Amino acid sequence: MHKSNRYTAAKRLDRRDFLANSCGILAASAITGFGIRSSAAADTINIGGLYPVTGSFAQIGQGCVNAAKLAVQMVNDAGGIKSLGGAKLNLIVSDVQSDPTVTRTETDRLISSYRPAAIHGAFASALTLIASEVAERAKTPLLTGSSSDQLNKDRRYTFTPFSRASQFALAQLQMSKLVSDQPKVAVIFENTAFGTSTSNGLREQAPGQGVEIVLFEPYSAGLSDASPLINKVKASGANMLFPVSYLNDLILIIRAIKQVDLKIAINGGSGGFVIPDFYRNVGNAAEGLLGIAHWNHDINENAQKINAAYQKQFGEFLFEYAGGLVAQTFMIADALERAASADPQKVRDALATLEVSEGYAAMCPGGRVKFGPDGKNIYAHPVGVQWQRGDLATVFPKEDARAQLIKA
Amino acid sequence: MTQSKVGRPWLWVAALVAVALALPLISSPFALDIFIRVLLFAFIGVAWNLMGGYAKQLSLGHAAFFGLGAYTSTILLIRFGISPWIGMLAGGVVAMLASLPIGALCFRLRGPYFAIATIATAQVLMLLFLKFRDFAWGAEGTTLPNLGDAPLMMQFDSKSAYYYVALALLALGLAITYSIEHSWMGFYLVAVGEDEDAAEAVGVDTTKIKRHIYLISAFLTALAGTFYVEYIYFIDPNTVFSFNISVEAALVSIVGGVGTLWGPVVGTVLLEATSALLQSWFGSGHGGVQLTVYSLILIGVILWRPNGLIGLFSDLYERLALSGSSRAKEAPLDG
Amino acid sequence: MLATLAQAVVNGLLIGGVYALVSIGVTLIFGVVKIVNFAQGEFLMIGMYISFFLASSFGIDPLLSLLISMPCLFAVGVLVQHFLIRRVLALGDMPQIFLTFALSLLLINLALLLFTANYRTVQTPYSELTIHIGPLYFAVAKLIAFAIAMLLSGLLWLFLHGTDLGKAMRAAAQNREVAMLMGINPDRVFCVAVGVALALAGAAGSLLMPFYPAYPLVGQIFVLMAFVAVVLGTLGNITGALIASLMMGIAESLGVQFVGADSGLIVVFVMLLLTLALRPNGLFGGWAR
Repeated sequence: MHKSNRYTAAKRLDRRDFLANSCGILAASAITGFGIRSSAAADTINIGGLYPVTGSFAQIGQGCVNAAKLAVQMVNDAGGIKSLGGAKLNLIVSDVQSDPTVTRTETDRLISSYRPAAIHGAFASALTLIASEVAERAKTPLLTGSSSDQLNKDRRYTFTPFSRASQFALAQLQMSKLVSDQPKVAVIFENTAFGTSTSNGLREQAPGQGVEIVLFEPYSAGLSDASPLINKVKASGANMLFPVSYLNDLILIIRAIKQVDLKIAINGGSGGFVIPDFYRNVGNAAEGLLGIAHWNHDINENAQKINAAYQKQFGEFLFEYAGGLVAQTFMIADALERAASADPQKVRDALATLEVSEGYAAMCPGGRVKFGPDGKNIYAHPVGVQWQRGDLATVFPKEDARAQLIKA
Repeated sequence: MTQSKVGRPWLWVAALVAVALALPLISSPFALDIFIRVLLFAFIGVAWNLMGGYAKQLSLGHAAFFGLGAYTSTILLIRFGISPWIGMLAGGVVAMLASLPIGALCFRLRGPYFAIATIATAQVLMLLFLKFRDFAWGAEGTTLPNLGDAPLMMQFDSKSAYYYVALALLALGLAITYSIEHSWMGFYLVAVGEDEDAAEAVGVDTTKIKRHIYLISAFLTALAGTFYVEYIYFIDPNTVFSFNISVEAALVSIVGGVGTLWGPVVGTVLLEATSALLQSWFGSGHGGVQLTVYSLILIGVILWRPNGLIGLFSDLYERLALSGSSRAKEAPLDG
Repeated sequence: MLATLAQAVVNGLLIGGVYALVSIGVTLIFGVVKIVNFAQGEFLMIGMYISFFLASSFGIDPLLSLLISMPCLFAVGVLVQHFLIRRVLALGDMPQIFLTFALSLLLINLALLLFTANYRTVQTPYSELTIHIGPLYFAVAKLIAFAIAMLLSGLLWLFLHGTDLGKAMRAAAQNREVAMLMGINPDRVFCVAVGVALALAGAAGSLLMPFYPAYPLVGQIFVLMAFVAVVLGTLGNITGALIASLMMGIAESLGVQFVGADSGLIVVFVMLLLTLALRPNGLFGGWAR
């Protein structure tokens, strides 16, 4: 092997590789310098989209990018931004690779290289929090459908048009009473940000809703076997299960429940539960299962129109996060229209005064958007959904329901 | 050893330092981000290299120290309002203390056993921090408070400032490595790395050496952890105890050249440059292309230059520098 | 209470069988070739995808597809050994470990590229079938997976102890130089070892397909447990890997049941660290090198 002279060899190399090192750094800087692109030409406006196209969230990220492109196309086909002479939106997508460091640098790169009027993203709470911090310091507005309550604290450039984690929890609890008079709920949740924030909302609000939580169990995401977990659920005597999980675990959980013949109502929350892939993988076992979403493709006519267009192009229905970001694109367009400028600061101010109740920009449950001082949409609320005949139908609350809730 | 062929070494150092100091002035913000990342991961690599490169203790759990450093300074900052500059040092101390029991457990293990045990310790820490909601924010993590431009609290408006801090950290790591290399400790270290049993046989207290180098390695890695969370404004267990960080720490040294002063730096520059290039070519396209190409390059490097690419540069340099002069005067090349 | 305990043990045992197939492969490669294969999980993933595509395109049951996935992965193993591993054999721990790491990264991203990140499942008539014995229930698909895993392990044992090639492999594992002196061709032996190990991983994938979704990162879920089992059972010791895998499956399941569902992994790791503290070479002692 490399014995004997290695120590002296190491010392000798020290001097030589100063040169190597400096060459390397200069080369790298020269090469990477070529990556810079200028800001938009006069008749296009840059907007940015940050999504995890690779890594553990790749599946959702790809769908989001598809929807983002579709949305921009729609805005442009409708004439672009008229107050800026029909300027077209130019979408710059950045893959955050489901990684925090990459999110940090990509958000920075997106903002400093392209000077977007606004950006949206990034699906996963942790990544969105980082992007939001960067956007805040760079004074660029960020719109996001991510539900973490932290996104509304101490910042002026983050806008969340859709419901928050705490609201999801409340809705889930309320829905449980539709199915049973004495709901005894088992909450199992993956132990990272998504699961923890949602489940805490559940635990805090359950007593107030008259719902008893008989099992409150975090688990390590990425199950090799859901049986032990379901064993616990069975032993707890619950008549309702709230799993807060990503898709791979949901598939195992649903199948394990079937395997042990556990008769239990399920409200799967959102996340992996409300995407087409869930049905594809779980099949009939999904029928009748309840969930929560901050957007669904049947909430109003506009949503249905977009869904049809998306379905035609991509072969599956438009899921929650992707549909939401289409609305966000139109909100950005609306802000650009009123600001008559692509300057991020002016766009931010226009977003702060946004108030829409029609058109694609208002495409959310309740059909109205107006941001409060903390960036929250004061009309935002989640909807309850149910898998019916292979499609996701909105069944709760009454005002938003488009289909009847099917009881088991 | 060749002397004047290489020129006066300190001239090269000075040139390098000058370039490094001037770089932020001529770089775009995008390039600056890359440089910061390079400096930071080179620093982590240098810290790892002490343990994994010189002493040849292949640790794949350095994220444990990274995370402990990050959490210590963040807890001190958010719960007690203490500046991260102090928190950074406190984090280093915590990591050093942690390295003692971890070392005590793991040093009796050899080779892959040691590696897997270190992986396990980092994972256990991650799992524990995922549970601790009360004092450490649990799984959700937290963003770092936006203090605007607050140099005393390690937050800067200007990106160049982050660059210089990272540069200072790297310089610290290199200085420490250099001084260890030229000390008694360095001597013993390499002995342990080359052949632990033989070293033990001639009377070297290998456990003590390993313990000492682990302390230093842990301390430095923890400093990097604090800087990292100050830079990305966010902390959570999955991020700072991530296995990827442990792998990257080792990878840059292996690609660059283990057990050498500049190996980790060379490795980081090359890997990050490659990664950045690939990201800009393939980044927004189909999922998986960038990393597929990256891993192919990695495999290529390992097969072609398993001792690290630093050897390649020195060979190239030799050929360039010696192309004119008489070969006969050249001292024998390293074995 | 007892029923819950018994059920937890059963659950753990069954999934332990799958861990065993993965860990036996790792320990086999380590014992014979002396390198740690960090990409083992990805070969499980490949096995899953092979079975998935055979099932969805030709309707072949995943269990039947074993007959195809195992030989395919054996061939892959031979290629990997001959073209990749062989070139880093003499180089020491680090390049070897990083080669397999890079290989793992490559395979994951190739899968992402070729198959997308979408989850793929297969529905078989027995996917949700369970057998009830008293208060206990056994998922049929997992029972079959366990049974076949044990069968394959048994066959491997027979191979290693009953055939010439198998004995040659054990000889090479014990002492490479002497084995060479006795006329054993190490390269051929290594190819077979890696081939068999990867075939076992592929088998694990096929066996998982009836009840587990396939996606590019799926290997990562099983590989961690497998590695802990390998170390626990002493590197290179196949029986050790088997027993440790089963133990760990049970420990994980009991941990989930009685400590907390997020503690399963902690329990396993603590088990590992304690064991290494008391027996630095794993439960079954003896340095396999």
